[in-house]
Amino acid sequence: MSTPVLETENLVKIYGRGPSRFDALKGLTLEIHRGESVAIVGKSGSGKSTLMHLLALLDAPTAGVVALDGRPVSQLKPAAVSDLRNEAFGFVFQQFFLNAQQSVLENVTLPLKIAGVPRSERRRRGLDVLRQLEMDSKAENKANDLSGGQKQRVCIARALINDPSVIFADEPTGNLDSATSRVVEDILFGLHRERGITLVIVTHDDDLAARCQRRLSMQDGRIVNDDAATLHAAAAPAAAVAPHPARHTPSSPATGRHAAVPFPAEPPAPEAPPLSRRERRRLEAEADRRRSGARGEAERA
Amino acid sequence: MRSIDVAGTALSNTLRSKLRTFLTVVAIVIGAFTLTLTSGLGAGVNQYVTKMVSGFGDSNQLYVMSASPVAGAPTGDGPVEYDPETSGGGASMMGASTLSDEDIETIASIDGITDVEPVVFVNASYLEAPDGDQYAVDSLGMPSEAAAVELAAGELPAPDTAEITVPESWVEALGAGSADDAVGLDVRVGIANAVGEMEEFAATVSGVSLQAVSGAGGAPMPSQSLNDDLYEYQNSGLAVDRPESYIQAVADVEDLAADGERIKQELTEHQMLGLTLEDQLGAIQGVINAVTWVLNGFALIALLAASFGIVNTLLMSVQERTREIGLMKALGMSGGRVFGLFSSEAVMIGLMGSVIGIGLGVATGVVGNQLLVTGPLKDVAGLSLYAVDPLGLLLIALLILAIAFLAGTLPALRAAKKDPIEALRYE
Repeated sequence: MSTPVLETENLVKIYGRGPSRFDALKGLTLEIHRGESVAIVGKSGSGKSTLMHLLALLDAPTAGVVALDGRPVSQLKPAAVSDLRNEAFGFVFQQFFLNAQQSVLENVTLPLKIAGVPRSERRRRGLDVLRQLEMDSKAENKANDLSGGQKQRVCIARALINDPSVIFADEPTGNLDSATSRVVEDILFGLHRERGITLVIVTHDDDLAARCQRRLSMQDGRIVNDDAATLHAAAAPAAAVAPHPARHTPSSPATGRHAAVPFPAEPPAPEAPPLSRRERRRLEAEADRRRSGARGEAERA
Repeated sequence: MRSIDVAGTALSNTLRSKLRTFLTVVAIVIGAFTLTLTSGLGAGVNQYVTKMVSGFGDSNQLYVMSASPVAGAPTGDGPVEYDPETSGGGASMMGASTLSDEDIETIASIDGITDVEPVVFVNASYLEAPDGDQYAVDSLGMPSEAAAVELAAGELPAPDTAEITVPESWVEALGAGSADDAVGLDVRVGIANAVGEMEEFAATVSGVSLQAVSGAGGAPMPSQSLNDDLYEYQNSGLAVDRPESYIQAVADVEDLAADGERIKQELTEHQMLGLTLEDQLGAIQGVINAVTWVLNGFALIALLAASFGIVNTLLMSVQERTREIGLMKALGMSGGRVFGLFSSEAVMIGLMGSVIGIGLGVATGVVGNQLLVTGPLKDVAGLSLYAVDPLGLLLIALLILAIAFLAGTLPALRAAKKDPIEALRYE
């Protein structure tokens, strides 16, 4: 087996000490493979946000190891961890965290600015990514003048601009109405599908969780259910269904960044018409079957 | 993040809250303005003093004063015992002990001194204009000051002729239309001797003088020989010769650079004090520098107060931008860079304050100097109250930037230490 993009071993996170001690994570071991879409669900206080923060290297665990591409990051210096976050990750937050006074383009290119990319190249790449998200006409607008959905698209553009291998999304649709949520979800899963970007989504939203290939249910600092086989909806049914499963299973190293779309083309993601309930169920069932088949094959290999 | 981006971001961040930045900058501007003005004032006055004192004569002269204790001078240790030897004939002027003829001879006998000329005060009574009008004269200018006198017209009196210069303000009274017309007029100097008998001495006006701050050129100044004649008459009339006393003597030294220290040493042994031009200049400049530094001290206090304004502004800014800081850190900005960003904002505020403050200070100094020198103080020749000293201005700017940077370290450290998760959770 190839190395997973993210893995943890016996991850423990404790806040406070003495009587106020709170064990947010109680020894988690898990692997997230390249190209997977993972939903982390659970009630508030279950530790899902803590897990995401540790996976995203925003916080250091009390005990245990987080490894990125097979390399443990615990021993790295803070500056090196910062660089790693800048290069490998994209972040989408519930509250957008856009700089209201700056233009859309400036907001989107912030990660490149931090990385030290020259201005002209920042502009070029910023416009590129905004074009992909159909936001290039708003590039010079102030971020404040956008609607919620547009803001979240800008956030996704910002998460994409450094060509990340993993996008972390913390309640990405928490502040959006259902129609806008749908559009934003479609964009995220479209990217996942077409560019093989690993998605890690923390959410309360069952519908959103259901669109992920894998659902980690958390309770009291433990994973109570790792529902890897559940595949729902039209968004990612083909994750494991490539013509040559052995090469294209999610754990395959072949899916590098910008690798040619590893999954069969889907109907255009953003504005796709909602599927009927029946059709969705049919696709789900089909995907289930395919996935379990692919897994079996991968295990044999 | 590249340095140019740090600077650009810092600039746009400081401009985000314009009023707040403006007020903080105003505080810096006040400090920078004051410092620019006070140090420029010091430089200007020093420049003037240098010019003025260097006009006092050639630098091969040594100014000799008596250094013996003065009888009757207020002392905390009770009265000084009378000693006819040191009391120099019992004469003293304005509380300072004086030089006697004996002292002058002693000075002349010192190896390396070519000539000694005692400085004497001549108190004339009046100056008579060609038309017979008489004008009161307080004290005549000393010929030894001749080199410090600036002329509006004509020339300095030649040492061995009966010539005299008059101040510019006297020109009209003497019946001349202009300073140039006054040159060549024949005047008479009236003087009383020790028993009050008047005598007139004829003189020709050789030049018209401008008054300097030192007072030089502010009174009619006779030539050396006329001065000697007047002095001789002033002290005549008594049955007995009064011992001469001089407040100061000017000694010409052949090679001051080589023999100066030795001659001063010998003078000290004879209870006299020798000062070169540079010594005198140094003493005056020492006073000016001390005053300048006191003024600069006030400006520095203003800057210190302003630096707390920077701390305050940036602390507020860090607080307001907690989420932005969290985001930048989450997106991979290291703590060091966050520190750099916020301290750059402090430096940016310092830069704006120093550029505006120094600019205003220089403009005010130059314009104010011009207005004063051509206005109320136009009678003071060669006066400069303000000088632009580029090196000094650069140092002021650097000082302000350094203060601003130091003021920025506390807020910048606070920003750098923010935990991205906490910061992003912050409402």
